[in-house]
Amino acid sequence: MKIKSNALSEKLKVLLFIAPLLIPLFAFWIVPFGWSIYISFTDWDYISPEYSYVGLENYQYMFEDSYFMDALNNTFVFALGVVIPTVVLGLAFALLLHKNFRGSQLYRAVIFSPWITPTVAVSIVWSWVFETKSGLANLLLGKLGFEPIPWLESGDTAMIVVIIVTVWQAVGWTMLFFISALNKIPESLYEASLIDGCSPWTRFIKITLPLISPTTFFLIIVNMINAIQAFDQFQILTQGGPSGSTRTLLYLFYQQAFEQYDMGPAAATSLIILLITGVLTLVNTEMGKRWIYY
Amino acid sequence: MTTRSINLPLANDQTGKHTKTIAVQVSTVNIPAKAVLKPTGLALLKHGFLTISGLIMVFPFVWMLSGSMKSNDEIFSNPLNILPEQFRWETFVETFNSAPFGLYIMNSFTVALFTTLIVMINSAMFAYAITQFKFKSQTALYFVVMACYMLPGAVTYIPSYITLANMGLLDSHTGLIISNAASVFGVFYLRQVFLKVHPSLIEAARIDGAGEVKILWAIVLPQCKAALATLFLITFITNYNSYMWPSLLITSQDLNLIATGIRQFFIAEGNYGLNWSQIMAASTIAVLPLLILFIICQKTILSGIADNGVKE
Repeated sequence: MKIKSNALSEKLKVLLFIAPLLIPLFAFWIVPFGWSIYISFTDWDYISPEYSYVGLENYQYMFEDSYFMDALNNTFVFALGVVIPTVVLGLAFALLLHKNFRGSQLYRAVIFSPWITPTVAVSIVWSWVFETKSGLANLLLGKLGFEPIPWLESGDTAMIVVIIVTVWQAVGWTMLFFISALNKIPESLYEASLIDGCSPWTRFIKITLPLISPTTFFLIIVNMINAIQAFDQFQILTQGGPSGSTRTLLYLFYQQAFEQYDMGPAAATSLIILLITGVLTLVNTEMGKRWIYY
Repeated sequence: MTTRSINLPLANDQTGKHTKTIAVQVSTVNIPAKAVLKPTGLALLKHGFLTISGLIMVFPFVWMLSGSMKSNDEIFSNPLNILPEQFRWETFVETFNSAPFGLYIMNSFTVALFTTLIVMINSAMFAYAITQFKFKSQTALYFVVMACYMLPGAVTYIPSYITLANMGLLDSHTGLIISNAASVFGVFYLRQVFLKVHPSLIEAARIDGAGEVKILWAIVLPQCKAALATLFLITFITNYNSYMWPSLLITSQDLNLIATGIRQFFIAEGNYGLNWSQIMAASTIAVLPLLILFIICQKTILSGIADNGVKE
């Protein structure tokens, strides 16, 4: 009898500790997830209580819909456009700053600072920099004798502006990860390579790069996932325009769900976003297992 | 020769044995002094490059401050002057008067603070249960929580919105706080930290008859102060800056968070592309509290992220 009540109180204790997290987790993560899958098979419009079950129609329609295909394409262009410069610049700064020297902390703080600030507010500042008539970018171009560029009004350049803003915000964060990875490389390896007379370049290619490859890979994936979920800078700078040239999947979702109230197609779009993130996460975990050098 | 000395520790994973042998070899050989001494020219080049990069990184902030101090006429007549002809502090007063930015900042601050406190409490309790209790489905539970990590916000927005509508919590800070109350990152982060707490300490406390809540509060948490500070700052900053979800939930003007408030001010009639001076003042009002927070807590934030592999 005593044992039984002990076991019961043990269970109660566990429950008491996990419930505060599990209740909101179920209410706002897990149940909505299932619900979203269900909505994606319907043609619900949010306003009317009636809806009908349309099966896979939302998904089929997606692949015939040029909006969706463009958004998918834009998402990948944006993700790659953000990830490559972010990782390359982040690594470059980390290589210069991973050793402590006078002022290194200050440089780190300065490069990291954009990450702290609200994306909405800094995007507004950037929208002024790239303003066509009085923006800084065009004023400088004018000084150099170039024609002004309608940065945010032209389909060719709008995406570039959003990419610049995103890279600017993400680079410091990426740098910090590289710094901690670089500091974990044993000093003895470099000393050994000095004895062998390796050039700095060989040292970088043969020692540094392989040893930080798991971090690099992780940073590529995480930056990509963040890029796929970027929203704030798009809404301030371009609202998906001009004529859909910066409409990513997440922005398309937002327009479908909260501007057009097409909940079915919107839910389907969100599940495609999940599919892409899910695949990226799995690749990351798998590669992480195989590439553990550290 | 070269490949051997490089590949050894790679192939041997984390045993560390071979790295040690190399270190011994090194200590017996004299490294040529030339290779160790850093040429000052290179150091100058490095500082030059870093200074220029640093200036580019902070330039938007400088540009923003400069713009907020100029009059609108000056912005268009002398656009490239970084130092305004005269510092117009009154722009800030005008901006504060044209929209309730003080209130927006208070709202953001309150919501972020309460969300962060709840996240800290429930993540700590959950992480404690996962690391210190023994029960069936422990691992399964942890995996369920971690699987939520890859769930993009977009997937849960529509149903969460409906749930909050059913609860009558749309357009309220309570709704915003409870819908952000579960943080997968918090669990992931604290679990890692709690695993490092020595089990004998907890055993000893249990034998002494301390309750679990007391052990968590008096033994585990005090040992993880640095990590708790990092988690607090990161959760707070993320919530303070968040925009998409709050902008969907909150519709009343006086409940707006700063990010939503500043966007409305930006797109409001007559402001867009005309009153850059006030728009920059508003951006400054939004950005400055966080920059100050960052300057104060710089060490915790930078080292916390770098050392503990913090995501987001």
